[in-house]
Amino acid sequence: MGRLLRTYVSPIGLVFGRSFFPLFAIVIIVGAALWGPWVSLGVTVVAIATALRSL
Amino acid sequence: MIPEARDFPAPAALRPWRLLSNPQDWNCVIFHFICLTAYACAFWLYLHPEVAGITGPWSRIAFVLASAMVLGWISGIDVGVNFHNHSHRPIFTSQFLNRWFGRIWTFSGGWPSFFWEYCHVTIHHANLLSAADWTLPKHSADGKFENFQRYLFTHWPWRLSMHLWKDFTARQTLRRRSFRELAIFLALWSIPFWIDPVMAVWLWALPHWIANAFVMNSGMYVQHAGCVPKTPAKPVSHSTVFVSNLFNLTMFNIGFHSEHHDHPRVHWSELPELHERLKRDLIDGRAHVVPFGNYHAAFLLAGDDARQQGFAEQDSRYKTTR
Repeated sequence: MGRLLRTYVSPIGLVFGRSFFPLFAIVIIVGAALWGPWVSLGVTVVAIATALRSL
Repeated sequence: MIPEARDFPAPAALRPWRLLSNPQDWNCVIFHFICLTAYACAFWLYLHPEVAGITGPWSRIAFVLASAMVLGWISGIDVGVNFHNHSHRPIFTSQFLNRWFGRIWTFSGGWPSFFWEYCHVTIHHANLLSAADWTLPKHSADGKFENFQRYLFTHWPWRLSMHLWKDFTARQTLRRRSFRELAIFLALWSIPFWIDPVMAVWLWALPHWIANAFVMNSGMYVQHAGCVPKTPAKPVSHSTVFVSNLFNLTMFNIGFHSEHHDHPRVHWSELPELHERLKRDLIDGRAHVVPFGNYHAAFLLAGDDARQQGFAEQDSRYKTTR
């Protein structure tokens, strides 16, 4: 099980981790069609504020 | 590719049929294609407003603002960090692919690839913190940078264009090549304008301004603010090191900036290991190491004196005991 995690889960996690910001951007943009543009705008502002405060 | 990067030999173990110079470079390709997909999604929704429920002016403004901010954010990383890796260590084994992938890499960040490489490798890396490094903020001899906001709003594209014009028109070989690359860039960059000019202004040109002014320029500022040129007495005071794990995971390890400048040919995926090996030297050399990433550093340096003091503080794990 540990070997399986190291072989597959860890590299996949790294790919998602390294592409976190563009994936987040797609969620924000496409998400506007699901939950509306105001929610996307609000989440974006909160995300930028969080990055500036802690990243 | 600039000659320095183009002539860099492939690793000895490389097989001729391998596409990528390093298996980790798939992350760079994936990152860029996700960025292009994000632009495509934003364009499509803008052109089909009924799908996203953005038929009214205010809902459309909200959509454009949210999209432009996240597109600018990722384009800044895609060019300023991701393509940056390629400019030092071309990711493909084929020169043709390196050249053309480079061109379709930086156009979505508002740059011809050759221009960006020239600024970064020929100017910034070769002349770090000297008077000849016009990519950095203007600074005094003791390393004090000009005002953060002034650099953000005046550097790209205004000062950059002026410097590039001077450099490229001074030498015939550079002039010919730069005009060719600029023409290819303009052909690619103009595509969204042919689809819908208003959409292109808000979901293409605006994100590129955000990418350059707020992501790339602020990155350049914080990486070298308060630093001094490399000397035998101060060998590791030319860059700040950002050791936040989350920041380095999502930003191709660009936080290990002192290590990167001293060893620019080391692959981005190997920088954490290099950092561990050089850790003692960084501590003994009194390198400036902070526990956060570029974003919080920008927040601190954009503030008043009290806030800026927070940037000057050293990570407790990297304080010298001598």
